[in-house]
Amino acid sequence: MLSRVADSLYWLGRNVERAESVARILDVNYTRAMDLYSQRDGRSEALWRSVMQCAGFRSQYKTASNGKAASDVFGYCAFDESNSTSIVSAIRIARTNALSIRAELTTEVWEVVNVLYLYVLDQNLASVLREGPSRFLRRVRDTMQAFAGTSDATMTHGDGWSFLQVGRFLERAYMTARSLEAVDVEHEPWHESQRLLEMCHASVPFAQSSHRAPDARDALEFIVRSQDCPRSLRFCTREIDLAMHRISRSAEGTFANDAERRLGRLRAIFDYTPIDEILASGVPQFATQLVREYEALSSDVQAAYLPRLPVTA
Amino acid sequence: MLDIQPATAALRHYDELYEAGGLPRPHYAPLAATLDWIGRDEIMARVQAINTALLLRGVTFTVYADSAGTERVFPFDVIPRIITPDEWGRLERGIRQRVRALNAFLHDVYHSERILREGHIPRELVYSSKNYNREMIDVDVPRDVYIHVSGIDLIRDERGEFLVLEDNCRTPSGISYVLENRDVLKRGLPDLFRDYAVCPVDDYPARLLDVLRYVAPTGSAQPNVVLLTPGIYNSAYFEHTLLARRMGVELVEPRDLIVVENIVYVKTTQGLERVDVIYRRIDDDYLDPLYFNPDSTLGVTGLMNAYRAGNVALANAIGSGVADDKAIYRFVPEMIRFYLDEEPILRNVPTFDCTDPAQLQHVLANLDQLVVKNTNASGGYGMLMGPYATAEERERYAETVAACPRDFIAQPVVQLSSSPTLVDGRMVARRVDLRPFALFGRSIEVPPAALTRVALRDGSLVVNSSQGGGSKDTWVLQA
Repeated sequence: MLSRVADSLYWLGRNVERAESVARILDVNYTRAMDLYSQRDGRSEALWRSVMQCAGFRSQYKTASNGKAASDVFGYCAFDESNSTSIVSAIRIARTNALSIRAELTTEVWEVVNVLYLYVLDQNLASVLREGPSRFLRRVRDTMQAFAGTSDATMTHGDGWSFLQVGRFLERAYMTARSLEAVDVEHEPWHESQRLLEMCHASVPFAQSSHRAPDARDALEFIVRSQDCPRSLRFCTREIDLAMHRISRSAEGTFANDAERRLGRLRAIFDYTPIDEILASGVPQFATQLVREYEALSSDVQAAYLPRLPVTA
Repeated sequence: MLDIQPATAALRHYDELYEAGGLPRPHYAPLAATLDWIGRDEIMARVQAINTALLLRGVTFTVYADSAGTERVFPFDVIPRIITPDEWGRLERGIRQRVRALNAFLHDVYHSERILREGHIPRELVYSSKNYNREMIDVDVPRDVYIHVSGIDLIRDERGEFLVLEDNCRTPSGISYVLENRDVLKRGLPDLFRDYAVCPVDDYPARLLDVLRYVAPTGSAQPNVVLLTPGIYNSAYFEHTLLARRMGVELVEPRDLIVVENIVYVKTTQGLERVDVIYRRIDDDYLDPLYFNPDSTLGVTGLMNAYRAGNVALANAIGSGVADDKAIYRFVPEMIRFYLDEEPILRNVPTFDCTDPAQLQHVLANLDQLVVKNTNASGGYGMLMGPYATAEERERYAETVAACPRDFIAQPVVQLSSSPTLVDGRMVARRVDLRPFALFGRSIEVPPAALTRVALRDGSLVVNSSQGGGSKDTWVLQA
């Protein structure tokens, strides 16, 4: 398939997943902030700072006073066009990528993206906050899940599909690693583990598999090493690896490029390393290392298949 | 529902719906009855649903004059335009004849120049055409086909006769609206089709692909066909995606192609892959910066050499624009007589030649009754509708024409025929034209997939989408 098309499918996958993740993270934190933290004490600001960190903005945000943190962070993460990873930006980028490969997409898949794009164009921060952000965030998440279902059911599962999967699961693993980086399980083991599970859509699956209230170590193990939870690092990394091997047609357990080599190493960590050993050096340190690994992995994928193309005027 | 008044005699134009006596023409009568039966409110509700569907599908075009390429839905009028089998039969024969002559003309001007040597068309007119391309002299194009796809614009005069308004021999667009209009109308207002046997349009992409495969350079049993688009900001991008998808060929941008030793390749994740046929939707000027516009960032360097070496086929051929130059237009009937030894089936609109001093005088003295068109423009840009312009506009235009007569032609204002159209919930008469598409491969075919454009503004005679025009589903009835 065309390198340019592969590139667009990869970024389409990443940005669709990005919009869904940011929507979920905002929703979880917005609702948690309402009952758990008083608007006036410092914990609320700390919560929103960690949301900023999750979404990938470490330094820019200065703590707002007077309980404005919620709407500031929400505005920045959902609607700010100057922030290339806000929900609106992610949807716009996804739509531009979809448009540039319109001929490769089924009508159904294109419409899912286009309809959401037209919807968010119509929304603004003030009105969304006035009615409560849940409906807006729900619409974004629903649509992005419809994207997953529609693309699965209507696209042929060839190389194009695999590039879409690489983008989706790489972004998902990346966001899980960022969530892991942002929580503070050391000081607030119960609340922060619960928040982590919710941000990864894993609180019920965790409860079902462990049959008890979350203990920080178990929750971390679940998010890192669960075989079946579709947002665990192990699961996502395996999906990226399988998609990459489908594209390169090399055998599992071997590698045809740097991306596959890095994936093999990551999989070994998740598959074989005991959780206590993984966490021995500290959760934030481990998480930061993973964030870097996935950033490097993205470069490896592009180096293998997506040669830099001259930009058209 | 159909409470519109038959056209008043004062306007003197052909009414597609009503006969002179005020009764619907027989082929429109069942449609009129169905519309009445459905009722105004229901139709308006359906129209809304259809417009939403078009927006979601992204059936849009880009308006250049607007800020940075605004996407707009191409307005769609749900009342179909109906063409009888007899009318279509004549159009089909006339268009086949015309395209055959235009193609022969292109081969001739780039080879022996017989028509110029024998004095039927002035040499300087051809050589001064912006789209005459010296690089094409003595180049043999695959199967001698230059105009693989053409769109012939027709209008009906006051008496109902179809006249050719202009030929489009480069990259005519509009077929995607034909395909989408039919699809949304069948879903949105299925009742309208109840009493009619309408020729299907959906085999157009397959027929186009046949043509493209036919012209592949010999030797490739499974020719690799691609559709070359300038990219997402082009006004017809939606059409490019639709055709590529329906033909099952790759939609490529110039940056996806590379020429190595006169062979064209496309860059894929598995390496370079050879390309045999390019259905290009990019103008000549932007194809190859080595030959044409060196400032173009759009082109594929070396494409012209690969083409001249016969290693790749281009549809349409480079240089075919000289055949649809507005200054050449008035010679098309002559071409038909010269190359085919036949009388033209379809007539031209009378056209004044501004390079002839006597005719130029006449044009300048009668600007208030004429349409003047710039020979280097299209899409309704840069033209003067004499009767509707202000005296000042006419004066300014006259100066431009006098300064460079070669760039202008003038025609009497033809009162386009009108067709019932839904505007703001009311059925009103609006002017229409017709663009059938001809495909030239093994033979010349005119699929029954024609675009009807409609001037949505009251009294307007300009149907171009860039000037507030819309479109209608066009029904060619089965014989």
